Amino acid sequence: MPDFVWSSQSPLKKALVPGRHGAGKGAPGVALSHVSDIALVQVMARRGRNADVAKAAKKLFGAEPPAALKISSGKVVTLVWSGPDQFLAFSELPQTAPSIEQQEQAFSGSASLSNQSDGRCLIRISGPNARDALAKMTSLDLHDSVFPVGSAATTSIDHTAVNFWREADDASGNPAYVALVFTSFSDTLWHLFVESSLEYGVEVAASGTGH
Amino acid sequence: MRIACPFCGARDSGEFTYLGDASPKRPDAPIDGGVAVEDQFYDYVYLRDNVAGLTREYWYHGGGCRSWLIAERSTTTHEFKSVTAAPGAGAAKAKQAGER
Ligand SMILES: [Zn+2]
Repeated sequence: MPDFVWSSQSPLKKALVPGRHGAGKGAPGVALSHVSDIALVQVMARRGRNADVAKAAKKLFGAEPPAALKISSGKVVTLVWSGPDQFLAFSELPQTAPSIEQQEQAFSGSASLSNQSDGRCLIRISGPNARDALAKMTSLDLHDSVFPVGSAATTSIDHTAVNFWREADDASGNPAYVALVFTSFSDTLWHLFVESSLEYGVEVAASGTGH
Repeated sequence: MRIACPFCGARDSGEFTYLGDASPKRPDAPIDGGVAVEDQFYDYVYLRDNVAGLTREYWYHGGGCRSWLIAERSTTTHEFKSVTAAPGAGAAKAKQAGER
């Protein structure tokens, strides 16, 4: 019998309050959600092994490593640029991405891998006013001409490192963004996202349901 | 103020930290080279020019792509004339930082 049993819980357990918050009664200006079940691996090419990494990624994920400031999409896994010669391999469970063991095997010798599935918290922010809310806290230019669908950036939001990218527009044609935040900072940033969205009306999804 | 990272594009200066002068070159000297080498290292570690005008300096994009950069900046106008990747930034480069 172990002395202590670890139980995993959402880093947003206290912060996330599902439902409608802030202004207005019509359609919400911003939709916020936390995707709790993710598979996330940081892949960093070793010196001079970029070509091997590209080949392995293509074979394993069905996608080339993303160009700078972009994402690339395979069947299940999205590859997100996270700096020169490195990217994040991201997928939402229960979709079956290649296991960490399969990834270790595929990139053996060509890249260093770090499993971040429990290290980061994934927050989605979308809607007609998502950009207005984000403008309060990011120095990125999110105009369509500069940051179209498929764009990615590593940046700081409220002095906190964030991997940030733009997904396909939501069902109503509004922009949808993803912020990957260190788990221990996610409570703080979640409050920031909610507070910044209140004036537009914000719909918070129950944890894990995505949108 | 914004700084144009060669990897990320123009970003708020708050994402970057300043290290210092990128001009001094580490002396390429034998381990026990005597007084002459000590003098070279004294210069390398302690002596800096106080330039009014263009300087070459190391900056780190810690709030972004975490790359070391070399910027040419004017100390009188704060204008950044160029920002390039420091030697060894990114795995695609054949040499690591500090290698010749
Ligand atoms: Zn950068």
